[in-house]
Amino acid sequence: MIPVVYRANFSYLVRHPWQLSLSLLGISIGVAVIVAVDLANDSARKAFLLSMDAVTGEATHQVIGGPRGIEETLYTRLRVEHGIRSLAPVVEGNVTVDDVSLQVLGVDLFAEQEMRSFTRRSTVAENDDATRSLFRTMLVEPGAVMMSVATADTLGIAVGERFDISAAGRRHGALLAGLFDADSSQGLDNLVTTDIANAQAWLDAPGRLSRIDVRIADGDIAYREKLESVLPADTTLLAAAGRTRTTAEMSKAFMTNLTAMSLLALLVGLFLIYNSVSFSVLQRRRLIGILRALGMTRRQTFTLILTESAGIGLVAATAGVVAGVWLGEQLLGLVAQSINDFYFRVSVTDISISTASIGKGVAAGVGASLFAAAVPAIEAASYQPRLAMVRSVLEQHSRRLLPVVALTGAGTIVVAVCVLALSGRSLVAGLAAVFMLILGFALCVPLVVKMSTALLAPFAGLAGGVWARLAVSEIGASLSRTGVAIVALAVAVSATIGVSVMVDSFRLSVGDWLQQTLQADVYAGVRRGDMDRDLIADFARTPGVEAISTSRRAWLETRDGRTQILAIRMAPGSYAGTEVLDAEPEDVWPSFDRDDVVLVSEPYAYRNGVGPGDDVRLRTRTGDELFRVAATYQSYDLNASALLMSRATYDRHFDDDGIDSIGLYIADDADVDDVIAELESISAGRQDLLINSNVRIRELSLEIFDRTFVITDVLYWLAIGVAFIGILSAMLALQLERARDLAVLRALGMTPGQLSRMITLQTSVIGLLSGISAIPLGLVMAYVLIEVINRRAFGWQIDMAIAPGILVSAVVFAVAAALLAGLYPAWRAAQSQPALAMREE
Amino acid sequence: MTTPGGVEISLQNLSREFTEGTRQHRVLDRVSAEFRRGETVAIRGRSGSGKSTLLNLVGGIDAPDDGQVIVAGIDITQLSERDRTLFRRRHIGFVYQAFNLVPTLTVADNIRLVLELNEVPAPQIAPRIEMLLEAVGLSDRDGSYPDVLSGGEQQRVAIARALSHRPAVLLADEPTGNLDDASAEDVLRLLDTLVRQAGGTMLVATHSARVASFCDRVLELHNGKFTSTPGEPAAT
Repeated sequence: MIPVVYRANFSYLVRHPWQLSLSLLGISIGVAVIVAVDLANDSARKAFLLSMDAVTGEATHQVIGGPRGIEETLYTRLRVEHGIRSLAPVVEGNVTVDDVSLQVLGVDLFAEQEMRSFTRRSTVAENDDATRSLFRTMLVEPGAVMMSVATADTLGIAVGERFDISAAGRRHGALLAGLFDADSSQGLDNLVTTDIANAQAWLDAPGRLSRIDVRIADGDIAYREKLESVLPADTTLLAAAGRTRTTAEMSKAFMTNLTAMSLLALLVGLFLIYNSVSFSVLQRRRLIGILRALGMTRRQTFTLILTESAGIGLVAATAGVVAGVWLGEQLLGLVAQSINDFYFRVSVTDISISTASIGKGVAAGVGASLFAAAVPAIEAASYQPRLAMVRSVLEQHSRRLLPVVALTGAGTIVVAVCVLALSGRSLVAGLAAVFMLILGFALCVPLVVKMSTALLAPFAGLAGGVWARLAVSEIGASLSRTGVAIVALAVAVSATIGVSVMVDSFRLSVGDWLQQTLQADVYAGVRRGDMDRDLIADFARTPGVEAISTSRRAWLETRDGRTQILAIRMAPGSYAGTEVLDAEPEDVWPSFDRDDVVLVSEPYAYRNGVGPGDDVRLRTRTGDELFRVAATYQSYDLNASALLMSRATYDRHFDDDGIDSIGLYIADDADVDDVIAELESISAGRQDLLINSNVRIRELSLEIFDRTFVITDVLYWLAIGVAFIGILSAMLALQLERARDLAVLRALGMTPGQLSRMITLQTSVIGLLSGISAIPLGLVMAYVLIEVINRRAFGWQIDMAIAPGILVSAVVFAVAAALLAGLYPAWRAAQSQPALAMREE
Repeated sequence: MTTPGGVEISLQNLSREFTEGTRQHRVLDRVSAEFRRGETVAIRGRSGSGKSTLLNLVGGIDAPDDGQVIVAGIDITQLSERDRTLFRRRHIGFVYQAFNLVPTLTVADNIRLVLELNEVPAPQIAPRIEMLLEAVGLSDRDGSYPDVLSGGEQQRVAIARALSHRPAVLLADEPTGNLDDASAEDVLRLLDTLVRQAGGTMLVATHSARVASFCDRVLELHNGKFTSTPGEPAAT
């Protein structure tokens, strides 16, 4: 290849800076979104793993108990009676300091050297004496804690300073005795360590341990077996790494869905790249024709275009990676917030930039550019040198290809439906099918546009005259340029329809569910921990309170994962709050209190493939026991692992008398606000409780719901941004391509205003066609998101509800976006010089 | 043949310069000429002699740096851009070497476009299109798109479009430049006949002696000035 050929092409790009810039911008945004989501997900996951690793320390295994943990005497027995060393007891829980939520780790400082170093070393303890002094303070001073420098800075607490810690609704005095050694404080943000006795007192767990950390040498099976043989029936020995992995896995579906959303932005970007490359090939047909006539082979032509696209892709991907890191930092907070709301505690403030994420971004950018450029490159290489100079040939060629493209699209849709039907419960396969559906629909859109503009043009002519007809027919006639832009906008708008209908349906279902579930008039509870028993008794005696239901949320851990038990003591009005899905309520409730039965949540039933009549195995105080599944109940709890059990059954099998929250049924003649005020006055100074009416709880729940979808909004707005650039790019390219035609219209007497109106009408129709084509795809996407993706990811069953407003606003939005994108091209068109028409090509 | 009448176009000390890099290039240099109503005049000259620039100035597509262009009694150099456009729409017809038909409109719609721009009442449009297409011999091609027509046919549509609103002046820039000899001959005869029937004034920019032979007089443009006497019929 002769270098001057590349120079000739490069010179073309430089002479069309807006076109080059828009291509670069489109690819960059696509890459940026992918990199950002990947980095945010990865950083949140890494931060969680780092924190888990730091807290786990050298422990290889952990002895786990029932809902209230383990009796601390077990630790003594294991050490003293069975001579098992390398053990460290831990009491774990959550506290708050000035509304900042912290994880508290209560440890036995004597046993700590077996497991963790950070609990014993401090930045202020420069030598052994200082270390010994810190050790003494931690043991002797009531409420002495250690934390990282960053956490102390956040809380504004200095070493030696006393402050209040709030746990289970009660305040306790604490003292910052030392800061973690900077070398070992990675992953320890928002964590405080204290002596085990303090933690037990704060978390209201006297004589109990959350777990016992164990260090077993690699391959020492005998040691492990010995330990397991002496453990009581209600405890389990679990591998620490496995426990961490199981917890991290909980958020996998959430992260997979985010990744899918980010790929949507790239997909829309892909159309934009395709658009840009085909324009640049189209506009260089003369140059390519000359080069072919001068002897450049087809292979050289193909290579020339692909090399150029790879170059553009690389530059754009580099910019995209830089933007992605910035965007990732912004998204990180949203991702971490959602994970904190629904899955597990994660404290992450800084993005961690991984080469894998950057590699993915660059590969996506360059790969997408090459993929998008392949079709125009093949097309350019296929022409005879003479034909390459003829403009109409390209348009005729694309017109001929239309039925083939549409048929391919229909075929892709059929394949997508087959994938959906045959892929079982695979989330990734479900998402792949969604992308195939999008692609299939996208390939059908140009034919629809061609037919629609042919139908619309005469009406436009009747309504607005020949210039209106010209505006509309031009869209179909320049399909190789307008088609892809329409597809890009249609895909982006369909994503908004799909996601909006899904979120709207979901919100309605959750709202209805909350309405039904929240049968009590008032709910009271502690954020984390147990409610004061005396307080509950006092509440029950409060005038206006007719009945009380109680609930306890407890976690059981096994090697297979975590199961949540919701132990409920129903009030007479509570039964209506649980919608039994696959059995008659009158058959279920009588045995609910009496027998060893459970109700499984719908996500649990979907995930584990269980239903009425099946058995669920749970680790109780007497070891594993089977519980009969009485029915499935509706639940939108994100922890797809919930079982509903009567309090009576729970008490028969578990050593846990704790109550997290209560529901209060208020007499008809009592005022709810008055009762709440009374309850607040009763609890004042005894325990900080969250007391809310059912209406307020519903509002709060929906607020959290809405917060979860903020990140979804951000991602699809970015996809729309890319589509907007696509329309702008297409209209500008079209205008460049039609510069001569526009000049002729000006020479024939069309005023700049008329020309500008013509372009505006054209972009409006482009927007209208995009919006209308987006509706069927959007509804199919919503259906698949609801029936397949949400089901596979979270196990929820949502009733699809289509609000006409979503569809109307999507079309209005598409028209508005196209109009906005058309403003500059319309202005440019109005500036076209009629003298250009006089010049010969 | 229509007898030439009063002065339709008057050019007075017309100058036009273009900047090429850092250099100023004077394409027209104080050119003056008069063209009578119904007269057909060929402007001859080599490439770059200023023929197209002159037509652009007469048609109000471009504005001179100096001098006046008076068409049908109106000094178009004094008009705003918008008024020049409206003037052009009503009084000028263009025929281009490259035909410049709107590719996405049918033959009939290409003509309709100009008629609608000139706000010709709707009931009159269809009969006028029919008449024009019959005049140019393309009655049966009204629904065809330009890309299926031959070069000669496209130029005949362009002529019909240029004359559709009965302009006072027809400007033709190398109207046969893209045509073979036979088609060129047909187009020239048609143009000559229709313009004379309509009584309009026609300026034709060309370097072809054959094209010039169809005109009442010929002006030679060289280095931005007329070398033959403007206003007087010239021998061809």
